[in-house]
This record gives sequence, structure tokens and C-alpha cells, in this order.
Amino acid sequence: MDIIAFVNNKGGVGKTTCSKLMAEYLSKTKNLRTLCIDFDPQCNFSHQYLHMEIDPAAPEGLMPPIHPDYDPDDPDDSDWDGRSSIAEIFYGQGVVPYPTYVEKLDIAPGHAEKLLTAESVRRSEVVDKVHKQLANFLNSPDVCAAYDAVVIDTAPSKGPLTISVIKAASHIVIPSVMEEQPVQGIYGMLQLWMQESLVREKSRPLKLIGILPNMFKQTRLHKDILKSLQDNPAISKYVLPVKFSQRIVYAEVDAADSTPRSIFDFYEQHVAKSEAMEVCSYLAERIFV
Amino acid sequence: MSKKKRFGISEALTRGLTETISVVENNSSIYRNVVLPLSRIELDPENPRKLAINLADVREGIRPDDPRYEQKQEEHEKLKELGQTIKTSGLINPVVVYKKGELYRIVAGERRCLASIIAGKSDIEARVFNEKPKSFELKLIQWIENTAREDLTLNERLDNVRDLLEEYSIHHEVNEINATLLKNVMGLSLSQASYYVAALNAPEDVQAQIRNGNIRNLDKAALIAGIDSKDTRAEAIEACVNGSSLKTLRGIINQKNAQNRRHHQVNLQSAKSGRPSVKITMGSTHRVGVIKTIVDCVLSHQDYEKHIDLFSKVNWSDLREVNKAFRKLVELLEMEIVV
Repeated sequence: MDIIAFVNNKGGVGKTTCSKLMAEYLSKTKNLRTLCIDFDPQCNFSHQYLHMEIDPAAPEGLMPPIHPDYDPDDPDDSDWDGRSSIAEIFYGQGVVPYPTYVEKLDIAPGHAEKLLTAESVRRSEVVDKVHKQLANFLNSPDVCAAYDAVVIDTAPSKGPLTISVIKAASHIVIPSVMEEQPVQGIYGMLQLWMQESLVREKSRPLKLIGILPNMFKQTRLHKDILKSLQDNPAISKYVLPVKFSQRIVYAEVDAADSTPRSIFDFYEQHVAKSEAMEVCSYLAERIFV
Repeated sequence: MSKKKRFGISEALTRGLTETISVVENNSSIYRNVVLPLSRIELDPENPRKLAINLADVREGIRPDDPRYEQKQEEHEKLKELGQTIKTSGLINPVVVYKKGELYRIVAGERRCLASIIAGKSDIEARVFNEKPKSFELKLIQWIENTAREDLTLNERLDNVRDLLEEYSIHHEVNEINATLLKNVMGLSLSQASYYVAALNAPEDVQAQIRNGNIRNLDKAALIAGIDSKDTRAEAIEACVNGSSLKTLRGIINQKNAQNRRHHQVNLQSAKSGRPSVKITMGSTHRVGVIKTIVDCVLSHQDYEKHIDLFSKVNWSDLREVNKAFRKLVELLEMEIVV
């Protein structure tokens, strides 16, 4: 089971869009049983597939809706409130992924308050537990048997949640806008990649697939910054040869009532679809060698 | 017309990215650094360090009916001191371990682990072997770790070298244990290696004193082991046990040898046959230590101290240079004594 994470501690660089496209590519075109995980307390990735609800306990945060399989009359569900997020792994509860409108694609949604609590722990022994918890969950026989691939969207931070993802992942992709601040975010992620590589067993290395230029515009700023990364012999190896352009259609399909709901359901020649196919198939080739 | 604006990433950021990538790509270390729970640590029963105290003793306390109660109690006190420094300033050097089943076995750092438990720590910084080390490498690391310490007895060090050579001989053909072999296997200097060989091959009376801890110094052991005469050796052993310095020991040996020579000369003269000798042959030796000892002895004499610089650059692991140095010494002495 390959675990692919999109990471960058700068927000707004397109982690969620990339995660969504990759997850849909794997499930729809590669026919892989895919699990999406939303590890960002903002829960944007979850919102793509579920009608997330306002959490009465924390009005600014979202929580997952009632699970379709939940049956309050079933004695098996008697000690369950019917909602399940990926944050349950920090509270010793089972995670029940939700089906999505895409066949073979499930999501373990976020839960704002619970994830924020996990992110804010500072006591060393607890931090250590948080760091390992996602890896423990994904390595469990149940999860390994149920899915072929996992795609994780992360919070724009370098905190315990992101470290937890780095520790669980087999592959990371760093999406970045070609601007100064997001590129600094690349540095933050390379630091995490380095720290993890130095402690990880050599038999299962954390593979950095590379830096994925995202929301690319044919402007001098974007072109110059991309070029300066490509011109550096050490960095250029990790600058991917494919990129996502800035297109309003990527945002349009996010709307709940959009038709079609997936870029991959557009007609064959659609410019956004062929771009998504190109990028995702390249990433998949690198991951599933 | 104004110049077109160009963008790029800052030099500092470029350097940061480049360096980070290079660390990951070039990390070929045989270790990785981790923090381990102390509950997952086990001691190596084959470690040459012979501490009486063990994990159970520090975890559950030393049982009053333990036959080695006093020794363990004493060790516990020392470990408590180390534990105190770990409490106040942390562990400076991580311990070295390898994974053995569910547990991690200590290659180096027994005392640090025990002291950390005593200090109430629940985890310890460790370097874990990426691959299970071969038994020989393991012994070599333990040896390097242990010889660097002053509180290891000579007996423990020699045991260690014996183990190491035994391990080495499983995979390599060993005809004779000599200084060159030891130098190559353990990365010692030739003179150090020759001292070890001398101590390893020491006559039984010397060995016994090493075993019971009366002879604790390698140089002294090697020097005494090289004495052929049993009586002289006994005298040197006694002096050594009573705390004589290396210099004093050499003095005793020289004096004894001189007496013996006079004795021999008398005998020789009384039973001479053939042509009378007109010069003395200096003999030959494979042991650099012998020559170095002679050179050192002569130079430590106040009359010849002034020549010390002439020998300061000699590479004692190169036999040709040692030969030259020795001839030079003889020449110097001939001149000094004639004048």
C-alpha cells in the first residue's frame, strides 16, 4: 500500500486540489481502492466529498456528518455517536471511512477541534505519540487489506500533524506556487524530509517525488523562480517536469453542485483534464514503479 | 528604457535547499539516530566490560542476599553519580545499539543506560545500526569503545583482544599472532600492537598478576613479559605491584641485565675458545618495542637527553626507519663514550 502525502507549510499552494486530483486519478483511471485522509483542521478536503457540519462545541470548526452506515437502533453502534474522523486515531476510537460519489474512493474526514487539539500538544511524551499514531493506523492489517493507495492532504504547518504524516508516508510531493514565500515552504518540508530520512529504516525510505509547480501562470515572476530552481543542479533533480496551471475550472468543480464533479469526467480533449492526466500519470509512474 | 525586472530565490534559500538535499542524498551512515524507551533496552552478556550490576538490579533494586551485593552496591553508587550528570546536563553521547527481536541490544553505553534508569529517565538517545552488525564488527566497536576508557582493567582489555582475534580467525587464516596482524585488525600503532602481543604471550607468572589485577598497565606488562630471566622477572613483578614507575622498572631490568652480563663475561672468559671477540654484535629483533625501549632508556639518561630531538621524528611503525634510528643511537654512544 503506497501512502502519498501532499505537503507544504505555506497555505494556499494547492495541496487540497492536488490531493483531490491524485485521489480521483488513482480510483477512477487506475482502478485502485483509494483512501483519502484529511489531516488539515480546516477540513477543506473533507468538504469536497462530504457535507461537513458546523461543530456546536466549536462554531468556527467543522465536523463530519452522520455516517451513512450508522444505525442508532443497532446495538453494535450503541457506543458510537455516528460520526467518524481520522482524528479518532488520537482518541483510541475506530476510524470508519465514508464512501464518496466516486466508486472505490473513500475518505476519512477531518474534525477541526480534535485535530487542533492533537496539533497543539507540547508535552514531549504526548508529541511522540501523536507523531507515530498515523503510521500505526495505516500499518494496521485492516487498513492495508482494504486499500491499495492512500492520499493525504495536510495542514499548512510543520507541527505534530504534519510530522505524523511525514512519518506515515511512503512518498511525498511538495506542491508550490512559484513565488518567494511558498518556495520557503519547500525548505520547511525538505527539513522534515531530512529529519525523517535520518531516523527511518533504510529498507522503507521516505521518497521525495519532488516539487510540483502549481497554479502556474506564464508571468515573469513564476517563470524566473521556476528557472532558478531548475538551474540549481542539486534542486533541479527534484523539480518535477510537469505542472498544474492556474485554471479557474479547478476551483469550479469544487462547488457541490458542479457538473461534472470531477475533472476526470470532462470530455477527453478538455485542457484541464489532459493536464490533470499528464501530471497525475507522471506522479503515479514515479510512485508505482 | 528601464531594465526588465528579474526574479529569483534568495541565495540563502538556495543554499538551504541545496544543503538539505545533499544531507539526505549522502547519508550513508551505518547508524541512524533515534530516541528509544529504556524498557526496550537489553545488555549484551558478551560485552567484555564485566560490570556486576545488571538491568534487574537497577530496575528492582539489588537483593540483599545477592552474593555480589557489595560490589553491586559500589557500582550503583558510581552509576548514581553518572545519573546525576545525565539529569542535569543530559546525555552527551548517544549509546549504540542494534535491534535484536523486539529489543535493542547495547553495543556501547551500558553504564549510560543503567545510569539513565537510575536517574529516572524513561528513554535514551541512541544510534541504531541500520543493518545487523557482523559479530566481528560488533566486538571491534565494543573494543574501541572500551579501550578509550581508563577504568577498564588490563585483564578486560586483553580478554577483549583475545575475543576479537578469535572472531577474526573464524573468517581469516591466522598463522601467528604478531604485532602486524594486530595492527591491521584493530587499527593500532605498531608499537601499541607489539605491547599487546607481548602481554598476550606473557609468561604465566605475569599473566597471573594481570588476571588478579596487580599489573594494570599495558606498557609495564609488556616490559616485564619481555624479561627472560625468571628471577629478574619476579623482582620486576614485585616492583610493579608495589607501584614502581615504568622508568624505575627499566632501571631494575638494566641493572639486573648488567649484573648478569658481568656474570656471563666471567663465564665466557673462563671457557673461551677460538678467536677473541673484538666487537659486540647488537643482535636482532622483530619487536620495535625493544628498540624503542633501548632508545628511550638511553635518552632518558641526563647525559644523552640533548639528543632527544634527533629521534622525535622517527616513524616507529617503519622498520627501516627504526633500524636507522638504532644505528644512529649506537654511533652517538660510541662518540659520547670515547670523548
